[in-house]
Amino acid sequence: MAANAQGVAEAPFVWHPSNTAEAWQLKQTFGAEGVFTAGGTLLRTQWESGLAAMPTHLINVGAIEELHRLGMDGESQTGHIGTMITLSEIRTSPLIHKNFPLLTEAARNIAAPSIRNLATIGGNVLSMVGDSIPALLLYDPVLHWHDGSNGLEEPLSEWLSTAAVHAAWKERLLIAVELAKPTLDTNTKRFVAYHKVGRRDAFTPSVITAAISLQLDPDHRLSDVRIALGGGQTIPSRLEAVEAFLTGKPADKKAITQVYGMILESFEPKGDAFVPVSYRKKAAANLIASELWKASR
Amino acid sequence: MLLNRKGSGARWRVRPDGPDKVTGKLAYLTDMTNPDMLIGRVLRSPHPHARIKAIRTDQAAALDGVHAVITHKDVPGLNRYGIAHPDQPVLCEEFVRYVGDAVAAVAAESAEIAEQALKLIEVDYELLTIVDDAEFALTGDAPQLHPQGNLLHRKTFSRGEVNAAFEQCAHVVEETYYTPRQMHTYMETEGGLFIFGEDGRLTVYAPTQHGFMDRMQLSRILAIPQSEIRIVSSPIGGSFGGKDELNVQPYGALLARVTNRPVKFHNSRWESVRAGLKRHPMKISMKTGVDGNGRLIAHQVRIIADTGPYATLGAEVLNFAVEHVIGPYRYEHVDVDGYSVFTNNGMSGEFRGFGGNQAIFALEGQFDRLAEKLGMDPWELRLLNMRKPDDPGPFDQPIAQTEGAKQVSAAMTASSLWQERGKHLGAEDEHAEPWIRTGVGAAFTMHGAGLGFGIPDPGAGKLVLASDGKIEAVFSYEEFGQGLIATLEQMLVEQFGFASEDIRIVIGDSDAVMDGGSTTASRATSMMWKSLQNLRPLFEEAVLTKASAIVELPAGQLRFGEGGIYAIEQGSDAHAAERLMTYRELAVAIGEPVTCTTQFHFPTSTTDLVGAHFLYTYSAVAVKVEVNQLTGRIRVLHQYHAVAAGPVINPQGFLGQIEGGSSMALGFALTEDAVMSEGQYVTKNLDTYLVPTIAEHRGTIDVHPIEDLPQEDNHGPRGIGEVGSVTLAPAIAAAIYDAVGIRVTKLPVDPEILLAASVDQLLEKAVSGE
Repeated sequence: MAANAQGVAEAPFVWHPSNTAEAWQLKQTFGAEGVFTAGGTLLRTQWESGLAAMPTHLINVGAIEELHRLGMDGESQTGHIGTMITLSEIRTSPLIHKNFPLLTEAARNIAAPSIRNLATIGGNVLSMVGDSIPALLLYDPVLHWHDGSNGLEEPLSEWLSTAAVHAAWKERLLIAVELAKPTLDTNTKRFVAYHKVGRRDAFTPSVITAAISLQLDPDHRLSDVRIALGGGQTIPSRLEAVEAFLTGKPADKKAITQVYGMILESFEPKGDAFVPVSYRKKAAANLIASELWKASR
Repeated sequence: MLLNRKGSGARWRVRPDGPDKVTGKLAYLTDMTNPDMLIGRVLRSPHPHARIKAIRTDQAAALDGVHAVITHKDVPGLNRYGIAHPDQPVLCEEFVRYVGDAVAAVAAESAEIAEQALKLIEVDYELLTIVDDAEFALTGDAPQLHPQGNLLHRKTFSRGEVNAAFEQCAHVVEETYYTPRQMHTYMETEGGLFIFGEDGRLTVYAPTQHGFMDRMQLSRILAIPQSEIRIVSSPIGGSFGGKDELNVQPYGALLARVTNRPVKFHNSRWESVRAGLKRHPMKISMKTGVDGNGRLIAHQVRIIADTGPYATLGAEVLNFAVEHVIGPYRYEHVDVDGYSVFTNNGMSGEFRGFGGNQAIFALEGQFDRLAEKLGMDPWELRLLNMRKPDDPGPFDQPIAQTEGAKQVSAAMTASSLWQERGKHLGAEDEHAEPWIRTGVGAAFTMHGAGLGFGIPDPGAGKLVLASDGKIEAVFSYEEFGQGLIATLEQMLVEQFGFASEDIRIVIGDSDAVMDGGSTTASRATSMMWKSLQNLRPLFEEAVLTKASAIVELPAGQLRFGEGGIYAIEQGSDAHAAERLMTYRELAVAIGEPVTCTTQFHFPTSTTDLVGAHFLYTYSAVAVKVEVNQLTGRIRVLHQYHAVAAGPVINPQGFLGQIEGGSSMALGFALTEDAVMSEGQYVTKNLDTYLVPTIAEHRGTIDVHPIEDLPQEDNHGPRGIGEVGSVTLAPAIAAAIYDAVGIRVTKLPVDPEILLAASVDQLLEKAVSGE
């Protein structure tokens, strides 16, 4: 935090770069003393709780036009969500709802309206535990970064697997998240669901966040199964073993029972002072089992 | 009849303080500023238990913009506070006993400078063993937190021989119940503005529920006469018992005195959580026995209340809990043993329900369990053992006799919600998801009002025809959102015939009002009603006699009305009568204010048991819940509250109190707990301490007031400020059992115990037969 001659705290200097190169240059200049900010909603809580010190320089990326782009490439069926797109915009965007409905549902479940008006998709993703992530993970998400040039691309899941231990990404600027719209095979039905379970019904930290997407062929066999789990301080991930197991099988009692057991065994959520690991495992297994049952009806 | 806007007709009035509140125009006391003011901050102990070896303030005092740094050495009078027993240091001398304990305070030109100054104060601590468990505190191994030990208060009540009586019981239920450290979570955190005037008097603008108590306590701390202090204590942005005790006032007053500048305090939510009061977490163990027919024989209770480091009203809360674990039932043999125990956890104290919430959760749980053992309907078991109107109170003390118990029970069992019970089991919705289960449960309470026998509980009020022609109603009570101003205005309009524009309400200013006691214990409406009953003949006599001389009509032929004095015309329509003169004309003609006052004591029982109540409100609550066995989470779908509390004085206020109380009970039951670990709050803010949101309130709430009182009863409306918060939690527990067959013993309900035990159970209906 900045301080005057007497050591009394002052507000940080706030910079408003107009393009990604300028923003990145500022970060290069200030190093650890400079912090990128978009909505600032998470940073505020970190400063207030003492988890992070208020930096000397805040680099507000909100003025960079490029980061506000939201669009769909009709040909490749890929969506582009600029890092500055707010959660409110995601929640109300017809484009998102049409192509990536789980993301709409996720945004509806994050924080409260006043916070969603400020908070951005970029911030939610970079928190590593945001409730948008399980939904995003079902759409083959790719992160686009600026690290001196605009070329760096990295699958979200890859970034999540190392982000907590390798902090190099903190020097980069996230430009956008790119999503692929799942294609629907002929004669199949797609089934999607998103759940966030907290300690209350709204404006609550997540205990379990689950997203599921699958195809049912005419004889009720499953294909293109995608399941992601997160919640609390658990870094979300896809359940690849479960997805592989279910592919080609009907969602019958036997399969559901086996999936329930696989999740209890393999899902490793983090507990906290309020909700133990045991609850999170069981609730996650229940949610996925119940959705498979619903899909099979 | 259910209470609602439509059925209330013209009695449903716009709240006088409503428009300014919803538009944000109203300035609360913590919104006040002064151009010369300094900002105050308190340095609180980071340690739950430590010895202070040294405090060095030089660096902080030398910081530019700092006007004063004070420690215990700067307290001129008694360095202690506490409503019932002053044992809490204003500024700690030798020991700190919880993480909110104040060690020093600073006044500076800005909040930033004040906070920087706190960082520059050096305190050397020697860490001491933390006493974070009330039962451990009672053992010989625990460090003693006070010279008298770790027991603040023990309260017992017994009759008969319980141990022998259990031998005769056909069924005995033994269970231990746990309740959470609930926070009041008022929207306005503690704070205020403190100004010494040119006349040397101190004016305190700070929320409190008893201005005169603050005045007395501050005079003791500052060592100045009470007459040198004025307390302005209204309006308040919520209190629920949490601002009855002093909080920042001692520091504001001391710093204003030292600096001779106005000083403002306003706690952050973080500081409010850390320093403020909470509901006493209680562990209540009960053993209750019945004969083969369900007749109660013996009831044994042990209560351990974690009162935190200092007394405040811990003893009184325990007394209330001891009375209410006996409750509205009759037993041959009773033995209650309650302990209020000092620990190094957060401060516990006064909170809406005052120990009744914990007691009734446990007591009602016993009835549900006994009924199951007996194979009896749980409500039949209650009715079988319920007190009769002429039975004495829980402490065998004489109480005001009413039919309240029977009335609320009859109303509740006749409600459509209760009638629905059991029906859902046979006819579950084919399309419902198999993991959704619904259940209906009910609970019952009698809740005492007033402070109880042996505690000063004064009532007072004043009516004035002021020089400007306004009818002034002057009371010491505070408006903290409960609707006191609206209720007072409604009584003046309905009972005297005034128009609302004729009235000026003066409350919450110790210079202007008489001490009518605290705005607590569901008592303010009762006391205002009684005051107006006393004042009406006096005021009519005083004002109409003077008017009589002026209008040259006998006083007996005059009456109050909208805007002025009217003649009572026998046989004709009183409303068509012509106004003889306005109040303003009358006031001018009289030439001086006309004042009438009344003073009395809250009605008490003829007993010698401290805390025993005389007036009770009765309530029966039914609730329908939905349990989601995927997540263990609960939705309250429908509530029904029958409340026997005498006449409804203000329909909107009555409904608001029951709904608001039930909202707090919902949090108590399902989401709220200020979690502590080794004397530190884990829930430091509202991002982890979760009060219910509007999403939890999607269910409907029916409120059914029962207004009849016996002919000879002259005590008027009973308290309703707390009762709505008491009975919902045990009803929810009963409904959960009805839904999924699982007993709840600990609040807030742990969702994990309600999860489906296996995937087979989860999908039982779904995949059976596939």
